[in-house]
Amino acid sequence: MTAQNLMNPNPVTLRPTDTVATAATHILTHRLRHLPVVDDQGRYLGTFSIYSLLRLTLPKAVIMEEGLRDVSFTTETIDGLARRLRERGSEPVGQWLSQDDPVMHPDTPTMEVMLLMLRGRTTSVPVVDQHSNRLEGIIAFWDVLEKLLVETR
Amino acid sequence: MHGSGEALPSIIFGLNPMVFAAILFILTYAVIMTEKINRAIVALLAAGLMILGGVLNQEAAIRGVDFNTIGLLIGMMVIVAITRQSGIFQFLAIWSAKKVNASPWGILVMLSLVTAVTSALLDNVTTVLLIVPVALLITEELKVSAYPYLFSMIFSSNIGGTATLIGDPPNIMIGSALGLTFNDFVLNLAPIVVVAMAVTLIPIYLIWGRRLKAADEDRQRVMAFNEREAITDPLLLKKCLAVITTVILGFVFAHSLGLEAATVAMTGAAVLLLLQCWPLDAEHQSKRVLQAFNEVEWITIFFFVGLFIAVHGLDSTGLLELLAERVLHLTGGDPTATTMTILWSSAVLSAFVDNIPFVATMIPLIKSMAGTFGGPEGLMPLWWALSLGACLGGNGTLIGASANLVVAGFAERAGQPIRFTRFLLIAFPLMLLSIALATVYLYWRYL
Repeated sequence: MTAQNLMNPNPVTLRPTDTVATAATHILTHRLRHLPVVDDQGRYLGTFSIYSLLRLTLPKAVIMEEGLRDVSFTTETIDGLARRLRERGSEPVGQWLSQDDPVMHPDTPTMEVMLLMLRGRTTSVPVVDQHSNRLEGIIAFWDVLEKLLVETR
Repeated sequence: MHGSGEALPSIIFGLNPMVFAAILFILTYAVIMTEKINRAIVALLAAGLMILGGVLNQEAAIRGVDFNTIGLLIGMMVIVAITRQSGIFQFLAIWSAKKVNASPWGILVMLSLVTAVTSALLDNVTTVLLIVPVALLITEELKVSAYPYLFSMIFSSNIGGTATLIGDPPNIMIGSALGLTFNDFVLNLAPIVVVAMAVTLIPIYLIWGRRLKAADEDRQRVMAFNEREAITDPLLLKKCLAVITTVILGFVFAHSLGLEAATVAMTGAAVLLLLQCWPLDAEHQSKRVLQAFNEVEWITIFFFVGLFIAVHGLDSTGLLELLAERVLHLTGGDPTATTMTILWSSAVLSAFVDNIPFVATMIPLIKSMAGTFGGPEGLMPLWWALSLGACLGGNGTLIGASANLVVAGFAERAGQPIRFTRFLLIAFPLMLLSIALATVYLYWRYL
């Protein structure tokens, strides 16, 4: 069995021009952690995830490399943070993609899929065609677990 | 420092030793300036080649290394590495911002002063590394541009560092080579540093300060910061403050106690390590000690070691003495002309090249001028000129000092990059202004 058999071939995807607000709605309604972003030709560009949302809600001085490690001195309320997110709501998701997350190919073996999830501490991984870079589908940990439980029965 | 007593071979690879050492030295400078190869590697290679080429033997090379400078640097780096974990830098930044009611211009002045004072007493790079993120958070809360704050903090770190023996590497080197005390630096340099700092804030106010505005509700958010929460380890903080106070008192009284600065700094570092590790078990002790040692900037340390050897090699050929004669010939041996030449040329050069190799070369060169100026006493204005030029010159460009580069890195990551030319257009004239003030000061006080 390979990634091809495990993946969901019709995942919810975003375009780079979609707004942060749209992405947040998708994430909340489908309870998804990672949304793959593709261009007009369906080529994979990166992932917009719950971590992208957290990053754009927090001040730059906190998320940057060598930024503040500890902000327990701040007293920002949820309102303040909500306002930050709202202000960013109309920005395109294209600026907030993570591009170095692991990806898989349709022929990636199952064990490698599971190892990538463990090492990358991620619950879903995009499946991308090696040559055309087209997004073929996405594998969520739930898909893998489901298959595992069916097999044990 | 120049070793006329050391026997030199007459020919190296078909060159006379002076020519060989000079070519090697110029190449070293050139490679350091290209930044294609790590500066520690370049300096160590240059040192190795000085020995392999026969300009120096290993014994002479080791005599060339100023271990007082090395010890002082490492000792202070260890103390700072431990102190930064306490959160004191963040505390000072937030506390000072609240003291001025979170007014945008007030915060700029306060953060500049905090940066100047901590740069004078600890080190510039750590200071900006820890205070700039707080400045970025505050400017983000106030919705004002971070640029004027970062610009002013670059200037404050270099100006503040000029005031003391331990504030900036050129001072450490000059102080160590001449046996000058902590008090010598404070008494001779702090007055002009205070003036330069105050005067520098005027153009910063006129260019940016008067236009800085923040909404009341944004200022309230900064006022709501609880600076006490920034102290992550109150017990550690007490230990650090006790050791830093003792070490600084140690510097002040070192001369009357017959102690060198490196002894004070290294002993202080050892005591602070002890206070931090006691009574942990062996494994945790190793972990803490290793953590502190890991933060020592070994690249800087080995850069110094290599450079000291390379300069000593060059000096032992008598070339620097010849160069000094040439400089004196140009200035006619006049103290005023020589002092001003050193001040202005070191300022302009330090704006573009690393001031550490420059000062390392200038020290033996100036020392050999003692005869013309009636002994070591007569050289004092020259030393203060070298220190002021080399330290303040670092403000001239974005690459003039390592603290500038650290701030630029933060600005880049915060999405408000500091461009080389844009910085230069205001920074270079401002740097020249501080040198003009130094000119008046040196003239008035020493010439």
